[in-house]
Amino acid sequence: MSYASDRAEIADLIARYLFAMDYHDADAYAECFTEDGVLDYAMGTLEGREAIRAEARVFKGKIAEVFKDWQGNPAKLRHLVQHKAIRIDGDRAWNTGLWWEMTNGGPEGSVATPSFGTYEDELARVDGRWLFRRRKIYNEFLDGRHSGPGNPVPAMEAA
Amino acid sequence: MSAQQYDEQYAADRAAIEDLMARYLFALDYNDLDSFIAMFTDDAEFEFARGRVAGKDNILAAVQGFKKRIGEHYKDEDGNPAVLRHMLAHTAIRVEGDRAWTRAQWFEMANNGPGKSLKMGTFGIYEDKLEKVGGRWLFSERRIMNEFLPGRESGPGNPIRSLDEAAG
Repeated sequence: MSYASDRAEIADLIARYLFAMDYHDADAYAECFTEDGVLDYAMGTLEGREAIRAEARVFKGKIAEVFKDWQGNPAKLRHLVQHKAIRIDGDRAWNTGLWWEMTNGGPEGSVATPSFGTYEDELARVDGRWLFRRRKIYNEFLDGRHSGPGNPVPAMEAA
Repeated sequence: MSAQQYDEQYAADRAAIEDLMARYLFALDYNDLDSFIAMFTDDAEFEFARGRVAGKDNILAAVQGFKKRIGEHYKDEDGNPAVLRHMLAHTAIRVEGDRAWTRAQWFEMANNGPGKSLKMGTFGIYEDKLEKVGGRWLFSERRIMNEFLPGRESGPGNPIRSLDEAAG
């Protein structure tokens, strides 16, 4: 397998992950992780695919409490990924990606852009498929969840 | 349902399809409708805010009407047509031989904010079918979903489910 084909698969995984999250598909979301996968995000650290699946089932309700449209209904929340730096080494890989989010929670139903941050991921190839082994989600708008101050990419290269 | 084989061919096809999707956006935003229409198969179908049309001639006519309406709807502070850009974020792509499918997140922004500042427009997803014709990937169906237009919203189910079902 070449870097290009591994990168293509990981890019597809990252897209599938985001659709699963934003459309509240807990099973598809959990299947993006290895069995021992870890999700480290704003609301805590989850260890294992089943713990992640259980949490994904209640994402919708948690998100609805935080993001509302101008009339007080749960907002439509979309996470977006921009550039990704991806390192592959055999059956392990690392990703540093820039994410941001948008909702329909602005004045009179317009777009709001609440925050941005980074994904800092470790991936493993299991039975020929790339999956997240550890996904840490930084958010520059949450105290204690800021990325940096150093460039995250050299840390990924040294891992 | 079979899963995607992520091999060298997938990487090459995915790169070509991502390039097509970028070229589409430049053609649309810079009013280059010759380039735009060349990205569709002869019998392509196109579904957007104003309905569903089939065939290149009908797609071209529909997009000309759409562009005219955008020019009237999006104006900068001085009343000039706004500079509008459509952006593409993450894209899930399935490829099976000479056929492919996508689900892709888009959004738009323009210079129609106060003092001609940047203002976010709307967002939604593309749901595409593509065919490789003469070695070149083309859209055979493009559905443009918009979360801000009643009746045009994507979901509520995960669009990846229908992507994988379409690919068989």
